[in-house]
Amino acid sequence: MTKFWRVAWHEYSRHVFRKRFLFALLSMPLFLALMVMLVILVIWMDSNPTPIGYIDHSALLANPLPQPAVKWPMRTVPMLPYTDESVAKADLQAGKIQTYYILPEDYLESGQVEEFYIKEPKGIAIEQFTSFLSTNLLVNQPKDIAKRILDGTQLIIRSSDNKRESSQERLVNIILPFISGILFIIAMSTSSGYLMQAVVEEKENRTMEIMVTSVSPGQLMSGKILADIAVGITQIVVWSLFIALILIFGRDFIPFLSGFTFSGSMILILIAVMVPAFIMICGLMAAVGATVTEASEGQQIMGLFTIPIWIPYILIATFLQNPNSPLAIALSFFPLTAPMTVAMRVGFTNIPNWQVITSIVILVLSAVGSIWLAGRAFRLGMLRYGQRLHWKEIFSHQRA
Amino acid sequence: MKKTLLVLRHEIITILSRPSFLFAIFGIPIIGSAVFIIAGQLSKGSSAQNILSQLLSSPPTVQVEGYVDQSGIITEIPPSVQPGLLMAFPDETSAKQALDSGKISAYYIIPADYIQNGKVICIRTDFSPLGSSGQSGLLEWILKVNLLGGNTQLASLTNGPTNIQKVSLSTTPQRDENNMLTFFLPYAVTIMFYIIILSTASLLLSSVAKEKENRVMEILMISVTPRQLLTGKIVGLALVGLLQTIAWVGTGRILLARSSTTFNLPIAFQLPPSFLIWGLIFFLLGYAVYASLMAGLGSLVPNLREASQATIVVIFPLIIPMFLINILIEEPNGLASTIMSLFPLTSPVAMMTRLASGDVPLWQTLLAVVLLVLTAIIVVRSVARMFHAQTILSGQPFSRKVFFNALLGKS
Repeated sequence: MTKFWRVAWHEYSRHVFRKRFLFALLSMPLFLALMVMLVILVIWMDSNPTPIGYIDHSALLANPLPQPAVKWPMRTVPMLPYTDESVAKADLQAGKIQTYYILPEDYLESGQVEEFYIKEPKGIAIEQFTSFLSTNLLVNQPKDIAKRILDGTQLIIRSSDNKRESSQERLVNIILPFISGILFIIAMSTSSGYLMQAVVEEKENRTMEIMVTSVSPGQLMSGKILADIAVGITQIVVWSLFIALILIFGRDFIPFLSGFTFSGSMILILIAVMVPAFIMICGLMAAVGATVTEASEGQQIMGLFTIPIWIPYILIATFLQNPNSPLAIALSFFPLTAPMTVAMRVGFTNIPNWQVITSIVILVLSAVGSIWLAGRAFRLGMLRYGQRLHWKEIFSHQRA
Repeated sequence: MKKTLLVLRHEIITILSRPSFLFAIFGIPIIGSAVFIIAGQLSKGSSAQNILSQLLSSPPTVQVEGYVDQSGIITEIPPSVQPGLLMAFPDETSAKQALDSGKISAYYIIPADYIQNGKVICIRTDFSPLGSSGQSGLLEWILKVNLLGGNTQLASLTNGPTNIQKVSLSTTPQRDENNMLTFFLPYAVTIMFYIIILSTASLLLSSVAKEKENRVMEILMISVTPRQLLTGKIVGLALVGLLQTIAWVGTGRILLARSSTTFNLPIAFQLPPSFLIWGLIFFLLGYAVYASLMAGLGSLVPNLREASQATIVVIFPLIIPMFLINILIEEPNGLASTIMSLFPLTSPVAMMTRLASGDVPLWQTLLAVVLLVLTAIIVVRSVARMFHAQTILSGQPFSRKVFFNALLGKS
């Protein structure tokens, strides 16, 4: 038993106490922060504060009210009245305004405007002009009604069994399962990648012969598997800590994060799907590691498994729109695509119970199958050098 | 010279006989054409689109939805609203009964304090908050019209002008924001150049590192000088890469020419024939720089695995244009784009993106070429200095410091 722990500790410390691993661990939250900053920067840049000009023939904007204040990081675009089109045109060409509009006399009946520009202005800037027009349109309405129309309606969607409720503004509840799914899968691929390396590495540098003289293959393998799974779990724990920190401290500052609740059943489904998926992928990778003779060869085969795992991510747009489409259901039943698909759908919709159960059953079966495969491949391929183990041999009944 | 040719021939033959490489050269253009043809068919609208949309959409449900108005705002339904889409229910229980019996697919509750809070609750069987929201747009419209006392004209104007006539005063052709191809074309060009330059350059790295790892290098060094080996390998792989470039760019051109009728691409956004020539020039120069850097890397690393980990040192500058690809495409003549397309380490990719997304002043392209040529000469010379028997045969682990020192000639 001590040998088992020794193998496990060696494998774990070899991966975790390394600059590169720590770097990867910390780079994920940094990367997320960078993305958020980039989005903010784009919004800030797109809301170009160069004024928008207008020529009003309809008397709508005779005594204009300014448009409602915009939220940071958007910048307010000033509105400049003109009376003469040639002046506006000259200013546009001089770059003093980014665009100008002409409202005809019958604007209130026809709703028609003309827009002049050199480079088409960004949508965020145009929106401000639109809200400028609507504000002035509603000047004569009662204050509360005008405010309601300008602010729009907030749609709160509730499932018919009253279990889940979500407004379109509280996206965080919907996206969080999806993000945790992605993190899970990244951690999973790290672990399984190490596992594949672990099997092939000792073979490659010929340490295996010496190792097996003092450690039984069972001890060696189970120690390594435990250690590599622990590496993955370390990653998940650190990342969840970061997310929890952001949620706890960010809630007060960022309205987007408020109203966050994480339902127990959601966590349960995620864990029930991810654990067998984790074991399945690890088993598959160990099997690959045992059959190939070189680490680089193993990496190529690994790619074949990685692509289907990420396919649902590519289809995210269609899943968002229609989380219960036949394609989404089919992908939640296929073992390799299931973890990501279920993680996405659990946030986007209420998955029917039979689908969750079927998916979990399929995953558990595949996990068992892949462990069997890995064990067999390992026994057959452990000391085989230079020659690849063929799949036929693994499945043949001959005892190793 | 003879030995250089021997190395060259060997490299070409080994790579071309690899199935994975043949797939990259011919398979990817074939798949690309297939995708293109399907996309073309889809944009025309055919039976294939129907099947696809059926596969991607939710099972069909009843279109009729209900509402319970607790606020008393809704007094009239505007005549423009198609009757039968929204049913009024006096209270929630009757609406729930209709939902359970399948008469309606969802119902909305308008609370009494709607004007203060603006909240509307939607209850539906198929819970998908980000999906299509049924008739909620229609309901919002009805609410708005009723709030404004039935004035539909005013209500529609609160969304902004109903009809905007856009007039561009610019003399250069405008990018059509609605046509996806005007974005995807430069995007595809960038990715293609990135992949081609990097993949051929890493072929060089792996071939050097592999020979080092399995100790063939020691035997090779007996009969070939390092300089001959390096030249043979670089030129041989360049020819292979050239073949790949021609195959990919050529297919791209043909597809585009054929598809311009399908996608109604404005003439200014089709790739001019000169694009192919610039493509070749930038590929060759970019390749010369990156392949020599990779070869230098290969001569320093002890084995293949460390080689693939060390590549980040070299390819980092090439990743920058990939990160900023949006800026390159949206503002091909902006300051950042100009700098990136002139700076020699990023220009092979960045300049091609700019060339694909708009007009580039000729002097800039030429300047980029000149700068790239100068860099290529410097890099090739310093790598050749690095590529001598002593470093190739030593087994010391790779470090960034050693690499840059060797590149700068300080050993």
